[in-house]
Amino acid sequence: MTDQTDFAVRAPASPGRGQRRLAWPATAGSRLASARLGKTVFWLLLSFFILAPCASFLALAVAPRLFSQGAQWFTLSYLRQTFTGVTALAITNSLWVSCAAAAFGLAVGFPVAWLAARTSLPGRRLVAGGMWLVLLLPSWLPALGWQRLVQPDGVLYRIGLSSPFITHLIMGPFGVVLLLGLRSVPFTFLAVTAGLAGLGQEFEDAARVHGAGRLAALRLIMPILAPAIWSALAINFAESVSDFGVAATLAYSSNFPLGTYQLYAAINNFPPSFPAAAAMGWLLVAAVALPLALQARALRGRSYEVLSGRSRQVVRRQLTRPGTVVAVAGVGLFYLCALGVPGFGAVSGSLLGDLGGSFSLTLANYRAVFHEGGQFGPLARSLGYGTITATITVIGGFVAARFLAQRKTKATRLLDFMLLAAVALPSVVFGAGYIFAYNLPIMSTLGINLYQTVLLLVIAYVAASLPTNARVLVGAVSQLQPSLKDAARAHGAGELAAWARGVLPAVSRPIVMAWLLTFCGTFLELPLSQLLYAPNDPPASVSINDNLSTYHFGVGMAQSVLAVGIALAAVAVVLGGYRLLAPEGWRRIGGTVRG
Amino acid sequence: MIWTKTHKNLRVVAALAGLGALALAGCTSSAASDQASGAKAKVPLVVYSAQGYDKAMVAAFTKATGIPVKLDDNSTGPLLTQIEASKNNPNWGLLWVDGSTAFAGLDQQGLLVKGYEPSVSFNSLGAKNIPPDKSYVPTGVTLAGAMVYDRTKVTAPPTSWAQITGSQWKGAIGTNDPTQSGPTYPFIAGMMNYLGGVSAGEKFFTRLKANGLVINPTNGPTLQALTTGQIKLAFVQSSAGVGAALGDKKLVVKYLDPVTMLPSCIGIDAKAPAAEQAEAKKFAAFVLSAQGQKVMQSGDPTGDSLYYPVVDGIAPLPALPPLTGVQVQFIDPYKWGSQEAALNTWFVSNVIH
Repeated sequence: MTDQTDFAVRAPASPGRGQRRLAWPATAGSRLASARLGKTVFWLLLSFFILAPCASFLALAVAPRLFSQGAQWFTLSYLRQTFTGVTALAITNSLWVSCAAAAFGLAVGFPVAWLAARTSLPGRRLVAGGMWLVLLLPSWLPALGWQRLVQPDGVLYRIGLSSPFITHLIMGPFGVVLLLGLRSVPFTFLAVTAGLAGLGQEFEDAARVHGAGRLAALRLIMPILAPAIWSALAINFAESVSDFGVAATLAYSSNFPLGTYQLYAAINNFPPSFPAAAAMGWLLVAAVALPLALQARALRGRSYEVLSGRSRQVVRRQLTRPGTVVAVAGVGLFYLCALGVPGFGAVSGSLLGDLGGSFSLTLANYRAVFHEGGQFGPLARSLGYGTITATITVIGGFVAARFLAQRKTKATRLLDFMLLAAVALPSVVFGAGYIFAYNLPIMSTLGINLYQTVLLLVIAYVAASLPTNARVLVGAVSQLQPSLKDAARAHGAGELAAWARGVLPAVSRPIVMAWLLTFCGTFLELPLSQLLYAPNDPPASVSINDNLSTYHFGVGMAQSVLAVGIALAAVAVVLGGYRLLAPEGWRRIGGTVRG
Repeated sequence: MIWTKTHKNLRVVAALAGLGALALAGCTSSAASDQASGAKAKVPLVVYSAQGYDKAMVAAFTKATGIPVKLDDNSTGPLLTQIEASKNNPNWGLLWVDGSTAFAGLDQQGLLVKGYEPSVSFNSLGAKNIPPDKSYVPTGVTLAGAMVYDRTKVTAPPTSWAQITGSQWKGAIGTNDPTQSGPTYPFIAGMMNYLGGVSAGEKFFTRLKANGLVINPTNGPTLQALTTGQIKLAFVQSSAGVGAALGDKKLVVKYLDPVTMLPSCIGIDAKAPAAEQAEAKKFAAFVLSAQGQKVMQSGDPTGDSLYYPVVDGIAPLPALPPLTGVQVQFIDPYKWGSQEAALNTWFVSNVIH
């Protein structure tokens, strides 16, 4: 469909190009063939690296004998077990908590994105950087920070601000929703910022010219941002339902079981029950049908292509003085909750030599990190893994986002479901699935030994990151009009050059954001790393976890603080590099001017 | 024209696939050729270990023997998950973790080499932990369920297991989650063994829960709960408790009678190539040698090095409380190992939640 449209657009090419015109039908035909081949390759890669490992793992729920994990070739007993006892309670908790967290993430993330992108909010340039820091933190870190603050005999108690009510509130379902919701804010921020970047001033102007007030103009704009909003809701839900960091810390300590913890417990038990974990995985996958159904219903039959060569630069709205105060206070409160508290938890944990028994500060843990051999190798390795993974993922994620943004067909719906289902599956499912799928005896017979190689680890990182990446990019990609590339093509540019000159400038900012998102997610990724890392080459997360879970809690916290600092420096380098090196025109798209 | 272009694309894809295959072959060829060369060449020994001193040991072993080692240094849980998930085509050569129940489970699945015992003189702790079929080798002993408390806050600690269910300890006792902490299942199994069986043990833990037992995931968070005052008594692995006491002089480690042995063990992959198995046996023998024991005692001085040796002639580190006068209990790993999954599930459902 798209290719035929492209052909129709280009057929009346400029006169004086007879030879080129003669070549059009053949060129269009070969482009069609190339596109088909590209799609086939894309689907093959998805099938091999996302579908196969997930399917291998999930198949164990009904056929444990498939990978020698039980005696039965077919059974429903494991699926039945998930509807009973603690598992059923945990799955139910996961569902409602994830819905609430997704809504919380949108309610906070949307206004923050709008304030940063469209208003004169003081310090707005720091807002995006802060979001990367929120994303950089593994979810267990904020959870530990909050726990340290409010738990009995915690910091609030020691400084005389003890409040059993606050302790009870945070150490319970509310606290779990709060933490998962705070973690969802950056996803909303990224999706909505990308959507706002493609939304020129002309729509708002049109509404205002026709007499609409600010509220009415907002009502016009909100539906245009629907793909970004629904994308944010879906990704918030899937990320929350698959989170393990909060499930294993605050939720666990609050005796509030979540599905991912139950799944991990089944795998960590000895002997591990992969079939029971797979059965829970099925429920988590089924759960993502909920946001997808809502999304499909809301967006059905509409087009959101608003970004073209004529998109106008947006005028930044000047906030009134009271408006500025409220906006700064709101954004500040968000960062206090999302960064201040966990930052305090991590830094204080790393500065206390006696597991938090006193307030005496020491640098002993940092000295241990610097003096102990082999602590920086994992950090450097993770930087490399993150860079490679992010680069590959962004390319794949952009392609996937393009497919998702096209007219809905069975294939795009399947892709949509597959990608979101993959987000909902905890990483440990990917990890175990990769072992089942890529460590078959026949592969060793063929001389292909991928298990515990850097190659398979990076492939797994890419596969685990791509679904989120594609969801974040789809908001921006769905706004692209074909005219952007057509214009370049009409002026004689080749396919790649047309994309680079016509499309890349329009999406460069979302692509940089998506790259950073993947980099941050990979840098301290733990479950996949634990199961798949190449012996002798541990990533940072494995090294940190070794210290945190055993005797060297303070050293582990010091390593975490250093790792987050290094990753943040990497983010600053990328964002600074984009600002310095990207052509001005690239940065202008999605930019604003003073109102 | 279309087909020509398509064929060109196909050729490009085929060439890329070929390059990929070559790359794969390249990244795996060394392993394949190593396997093909059999027992004569020194193949890399893949060591799965959760010991704090494993890096130091691997370096010393390679230096002494010239055998290259690939170390997967991880928590016990992920290591056992990897072994179970890859049991059709295992990649490991040697496993070195705490807790003989896991080794008994692997042995019952036929995953371990049987009949190997290093030629060293085991002391009484070591001798008790050698299985009848010699499918794994004990390398040291720590104790499961060691009691840790702050002497400035607890002046009259309990002296028996029965006392800890008393009302004076309501909400004051903490331990770990057996599904996340390897040393905790032996503690649970040990209590059940001491009390006369599963049923009596379940009643004991149910009473503890009713008395406000606090569960944290692993040793570290449980000890943190102790030092921050959330709990008054922590029941953790002895090496974790003694290590914490080295850093915080207010902490005291005591053993209630009986305390359960938690041996660290080495097992060798039954499906590994013969050359790798031979190297794994050399590794186990090296660990138990005087040189190896020196590395074990110095590689993680505030953590796993705090163990009770299992070979004659090696004294425990001075920080460890003496075992004289303490009843140290041995539990049959084959009896209790086979019940691990079921009892852990019971514990999670009835004590944690």
